[in-house]
Amino acid sequence: MTSRFSKAMLLAAVLAILLFLLAPILVLILSAFDSGNVFRFPPRGLSLRWFEAAFNHSEYRSSLWISTVLGLLSTAIAVGLASLAAFGLVRGKPSYRLAMEVLLLAPLTLPLVVWAIALLSIYAQLGINGTLPGLILAHVTITMPFAARIMIATFGEIDPNLEAAAKSLGASPWQVVRRITLPLALPGLLSSTAIAFLVSFNDVVVTTLIAGAGWITFPVRTFSRLRTEGIDPTTIAIGAMIVAFTILVIVFGQRLFQLSRRL
Amino acid sequence: MKQTPDIKPTATALLVAPAAILMFGVFVLPFLFLVVLSFWSQVPGSVGIVPGFTLANYARIIGDGYYLGGLWTTLWLSGLVTLLCLVLALPLARWIYAKRSKGLLIGLCILPLVCGALLPTLGLVNLLSPLGFINGALKSMGLIKTSLPLLGNIAGVSIGLVQAFLPLMILPLISTIERIPHDYEKAAMSLGATRLVVWRRVLLPLMLPGIVAGSLLVFCASLTAFVTPQILGQGKVVTFASLAYQQAAMVLDWPFASALGMVMLLFLALAGLLGALVSRGLGRRT
Repeated sequence: MTSRFSKAMLLAAVLAILLFLLAPILVLILSAFDSGNVFRFPPRGLSLRWFEAAFNHSEYRSSLWISTVLGLLSTAIAVGLASLAAFGLVRGKPSYRLAMEVLLLAPLTLPLVVWAIALLSIYAQLGINGTLPGLILAHVTITMPFAARIMIATFGEIDPNLEAAAKSLGASPWQVVRRITLPLALPGLLSSTAIAFLVSFNDVVVTTLIAGAGWITFPVRTFSRLRTEGIDPTTIAIGAMIVAFTILVIVFGQRLFQLSRRL
Repeated sequence: MKQTPDIKPTATALLVAPAAILMFGVFVLPFLFLVVLSFWSQVPGSVGIVPGFTLANYARIIGDGYYLGGLWTTLWLSGLVTLLCLVLALPLARWIYAKRSKGLLIGLCILPLVCGALLPTLGLVNLLSPLGFINGALKSMGLIKTSLPLLGNIAGVSIGLVQAFLPLMILPLISTIERIPHDYEKAAMSLGATRLVVWRRVLLPLMLPGIVAGSLLVFCASLTAFVTPQILGQGKVVTFASLAYQQAAMVLDWPFASALGMVMLLFLALAGLLGALVSRGLGRRT
């Protein structure tokens, strides 16, 4: 009886912590449907007007477009480079493997805002401040550790004997990669692509420091508005859509290719 | 044991080189430049930088109560956030690890991480504001008459930081707790240990590497956070990283911003050292 009671208490506590963790995201989605200019609870009415406003707002639309292009390009480069490096480290087993892993994962542990301050002044010296190549370079760097970690785990799980067997049966190195390695690495490739894109698309810390006036991503525009004019319900609606998209990616990613397993 | 490589050393080097060069050039070099830059000075009233050697930037930090005050606030705030994250993450990690739908739950836990710093904070404003979810719900239940002040103060900033960085504690905890065989707990319980004793004598000592790693990650992230403190603090809570951000992005005094960054790196290094000492000291005792 008491053990059942304490078990129920523990469950309640754990669910409360989980709710606390997800509350901001849930509130963001719910408050997007509030009809007022300023969100209040309980809501006075429900409407889709802010979603409509979001689709008609040309500034936000261009920012979302910039975020998407930047995210796609950076993800492609980061996942490509990370996959090559991870394959080399796992299959080549070089003596410098540990040092390389530390280097590739460094952005996860070192403070990005401090790095971005230095990068900003270097970019200014080089004259690539606020340019798209400069932004892409920065985003490849911040997404690299996520891609590298997933790809190292992915290649580590693929039995090298499968590749050796294909080779001994007369497959060329390119055929081995295309017919054996890539299909087996596909879940990992999709996971790292999904995570890298989300990290790049939603980044505000680094981008707000190095993005010039020409390439304002959606999080950067929202952040600068927020500080000057307060919350704009249109951003809430867009934010809710982005978060809903993120949840879909995570849930489907989990179902289809066990997204969180290699994280 | 020497492992036999499956591909040639030159091929390995060629595969690894592009990522290595990029990470060294774009990530490591700026940190080295930061050290140099923090001793340079800025031409007053412009973005021009004068190379040289001056301690003026550091003297300004130490001599000005504004910056020292911000540093002190940030340090104890980060300590508080780390402690709160640990307390919340321990039961959650223990619960998730025994669940069959572990993968999906971990996926949900990393959601605040991949949503970036901004979007969850937007939701938090609507959760904590005077007209928001919490105050609105409490008022309609008749529990409070006037709104609780949850924005523009330390309380709001702490809630925001704990929420944002809880995943950084949960992930290392889960990866260490996963290595503890389920039998250990059963064995301890069959010998008469209560749940509390199991936690204190079995789980916590074995989870120590995860606890240290998670605490370091959360402390580092809180110490250098500026988006969440700026939005939820509404300019009334001055944290050290937001001072550095202002200098870099608005005042455009990059040498001074670099010096502020160096101070943050110093305290992160100290935290890392402390973490290493704790895990070594406790590791020897058990």
